[in-house]
Amino acid sequence: MTSQALENLEAQLETFIENIRQIKIIVGDFQPQGQNVLNQKIQTVVSGLQEIDKLKSQVQDVHVPLEVFDYIDSGRNPQLYTKDCMEKAMNKNETVRGKIDAYRRFRAHLMVELTSVFPAEMAKYRAIRGDERPMS
Amino acid sequence: MSEQFRKVEQYSPKSSPRGSRSPVVPRQDSTGTLKATISLGKNPSIVHTGPFYLIKEPPTESDLTGATNLMAHYGLEHSYNKSSGRKVRDTLSSFLPNLPGQIDSPGHLDNSSLRSVIDKPPIGGKELLPLSSMQLSGFRLHPGALPEQYRLMNQVPQKKKHKHKKHKHKPGDTPSHQESTTTSDVASSAEKKHKKQKRHDDDKERKKRKKEKKKKKQKHSPEHPSGSSHMDM
Repeated sequence: MTSQALENLEAQLETFIENIRQIKIIVGDFQPQGQNVLNQKIQTVVSGLQEIDKLKSQVQDVHVPLEVFDYIDSGRNPQLYTKDCMEKAMNKNETVRGKIDAYRRFRAHLMVELTSVFPAEMAKYRAIRGDERPMS
Repeated sequence: MSEQFRKVEQYSPKSSPRGSRSPVVPRQDSTGTLKATISLGKNPSIVHTGPFYLIKEPPTESDLTGATNLMAHYGLEHSYNKSSGRKVRDTLSSFLPNLPGQIDSPGHLDNSSLRSVIDKPPIGGKELLPLSSMQLSGFRLHPGALPEQYRLMNQVPQKKKHKHKKHKHKPGDTPSHQESTTTSDVASSAEKKHKKQKRHDDDKERKKRKKEKKKKKQKHSPEHPSGSSHMDM
């Protein structure tokens, strides 16, 4: 449903832009006999805006991240935003995985060292925690 | 001596309201606090109410952590491979090739940025109505071409792909004619008429120039009777 609505909106916007482009050509080198055509085109602009306004209710659920607008404003491809997002997510995932790994190794190492220094206390600690996790 | 004892008595547990027990201090988080009760008096003792000093409850373990491959978990591996595999061009025009005009330039230069629409939303909510004849009369234009300062705004940068094609540009030609037109009949007929008129005008100018050149040649030639004065004998 949303994809169909987006396609309709895209088609309507393309038609609108094409109409504006035709007005630009007519106005670029205006001839008196083109006045009626220009008036028709202006009315088409208004009807195009009405059609686009009608379509807005169908795409209200579509959310666009604001960062995409920054890409578009700087003339960049918005697909790069998706690509950058996924790469950032991958990198962050790997960073956090590395941290979790480091903490696990530190905990295991600490348990080994503490057991060697405080065996009785560590035995109590493990009994309290019900720790079934391996030390290494 | 008695004063010293009085001072000691001021701080002794006997003078405290809770007797020999340690004072009650309100604490918000009791997880890291001293889980022991210290009692003084005849038989001072420390009663442990918790196993170890500062022992806390371990955090609840969750199934999904950063240690798992989140791309695989959310089924995004295919999307990631697709987006990272294919070459994505940097320009906006590669994403929207059918849009006319210069879209790769930054939006803040010509005040056409999307950010400005968000920061300063346009006044809306009014009904869109077709224009009346009185309102359309405001769009009556003078015939003729646009001034040069406005023509530059319409120029589209030529794409590098069309190197093998040789476009013969006339000096008075506007770049709008270069764009491929899939327009309606009225606009295309207006264009065709315009082109025909221009060709007609250009032909006329060429003929005029040729005639002028011929006249000049004939004036300076020795065979022409109305030539230069030194020919008369």
